Amino acid sequence: MGEDGETRPPSRSLPILSTGDSWGMLACLCTVLWHLPAVPALNRTGDPGPGPSIQKTYDLTRYLEHQLRSLAGTYLNYLGPPFNEPDFNPPRLGAETLPRATVNLDVWRSLNDKLRLTQNYEAYSHLLCYLRGLNRQAATAELRRSLAHFCTSLQGLLGSIAGVMAALGYPLPQPLPGTEPTWAPGPAHSDFLQKMDDFWLLKELQTWLWRSAKDFNRLKKKMQTPAAAVTLHLEAHGF
Amino acid sequence: MAAPVPWACCAVLAAAAAVVYAQRHSPQETPHVQYERLGSDVTLPCGTANWDAAVTWRVNGTDLAPDLLNGSQLVLRGLELGHSGLYACFHRDSWHLRHQVLLHVGLPPREPVLSCRSNTYPKGFYCSWHLPAPTYIPNTFNVTVLHGSKIMVCEKDPALKNRCHIRYMHLFSTVKYKVSISVSNALGHNATAITFDEFTIVKPDPPENVVARPVPSNPRRLEVTWQTPSTWPDPESFPLKFFLRYRPLILDQWQHVELSDGTAHTITDAYAGKEYIIQVAAKDNEIGTWSDWSVAAHATPWTEEPRHLTTEAQAPETTTSTTSSLAPPPTTKICDPGELGSGGGPSAPLFISVPLTLALAAAAATASSLLIWGTEIRRSLACAAFLP
Repeated sequence: MGEDGETRPPSRSLPILSTGDSWGMLACLCTVLWHLPAVPALNRTGDPGPGPSIQKTYDLTRYLEHQLRSLAGTYLNYLGPPFNEPDFNPPRLGAETLPRATVNLDVWRSLNDKLRLTQNYEAYSHLLCYLRGLNRQAATAELRRSLAHFCTSLQGLLGSIAGVMAALGYPLPQPLPGTEPTWAPGPAHSDFLQKMDDFWLLKELQTWLWRSAKDFNRLKKKMQTPAAAVTLHLEAHGF
Repeated sequence: MAAPVPWACCAVLAAAAAVVYAQRHSPQETPHVQYERLGSDVTLPCGTANWDAAVTWRVNGTDLAPDLLNGSQLVLRGLELGHSGLYACFHRDSWHLRHQVLLHVGLPPREPVLSCRSNTYPKGFYCSWHLPAPTYIPNTFNVTVLHGSKIMVCEKDPALKNRCHIRYMHLFSTVKYKVSISVSNALGHNATAITFDEFTIVKPDPPENVVARPVPSNPRRLEVTWQTPSTWPDPESFPLKFFLRYRPLILDQWQHVELSDGTAHTITDAYAGKEYIIQVAAKDNEIGTWSDWSVAAHATPWTEEPRHLTTEAQAPETTTSTTSSLAPPPTTKICDPGELGSGGGPSAPLFISVPLTLALAAAAATASSLLIWGTEIRRSLACAAFLP
């Protein structure tokens, strides 16, 4: 990605940008995004409960998963073989900072609602950040358009999750110092390794969307609230 | 004296000779097991006998013709499955059994067919295998499961010997699973492997207990109920969606309904009085593939009980009600070609009389007869259309 291949530690207070420092810019961008205030979801009186917004979040994961399928296909073709081969099964090397959807079965089952939602929120925040980085490097305008559209939808999902958390009274996760989503390339980060990182990003994104569908299914079952009149009310306010 | 020494010497020599004799001539307690390939040629030596020894061969107790022999060796060409058996060679004169061979004719294994499926997601998955063609001899299979670089245990199925089960330790993994199988027997060896993502092999068992019932007082409805497959461990967190298909037995075209939840559905467009066949399939809401179709349920929609026939007029009523929806409406008109010429009503051209009153009366009569005549024309035309 970066022309000079240098890694630069992210500066939190005042990002220092030099020419050609794409990683620094990325770090800055991610830092800024991370500190954005959460979208206030239901700041009205007579809160109807989280049921409808959980359903909406679930629906969004399905929509995004569908959108991702075509986007990933196009992007992997752009990367070329072996990334676009169906049997491609590389070892998971690098991309350690990517949020992993994989979780022990019993641990996943026993997650409390707050933790479940927090993990989803944090994951998509990271993934959105990386995707935006991907967008900047995409070669064709077509790809950039698709990626931008997907990023917007993903932003919507984040907002929806934030809404559910707010409705349930959970605080939005704040980043711990030192765990900002920066993605510094290793020394002599080759073109191939960069493509590997892109491959894993898309794979992880897809897996997270499947996981989120299951997460929100579980949440939905837990709070079976009557939603009919409430949904109409919410939709009038752009939800 | 030197006498005891030679005696001892003789005894030892005799014993040695006896041992040698026994080794060369004693029958083998257990037959030698030999595997040979179908279609090949094999030469069976009679143990350690010389080539020119006089022997007879038998298979499963039946003598073999001497023309198969090459000296004391049995030559079998173009082995077939029927050649499998217990071959024994005997000293021709003493009928002393010299050697036994248990011959098995078979084939080396072809590439096995391996498939894996998760019908118990998220608990685990199973893999099953088979050989595309029989080998006719015993085979041993060895299955290994790799998740990335980690080896997983595949537990043998207690009932089926070509199946083993793997338990998921982690869910939502981006790393693929690789299942390899190797098969070997006395004649050869083969292997294959498959790689897949956790989500792609999810396929539930078909729904159970599909029951279809008529709905009283509704001649076009059928109520269908079913249950989620009992092997699916967690329908709450991993809900299933269903696909219903139905058709009357007399038609080939299925109708389909997809249902996102619930285990019941009412068909509202059934043909009255026709027996229906109904099946249901299941799929995880988000991942994997559809199950096979369930066992079919049969049902006929409710039909009104025919009233007790008191007059003949009532009989056609019940028959037309069941056939009306499918058969074209029966023609009530009987076409008689003779009608075209004559016509039921006034068919003659009209004559208009000169006097006014007469003319008016005639006009009125004309109008009414025109009306009738017009109807007759229509009837005749309709009739003509049906005639060849």
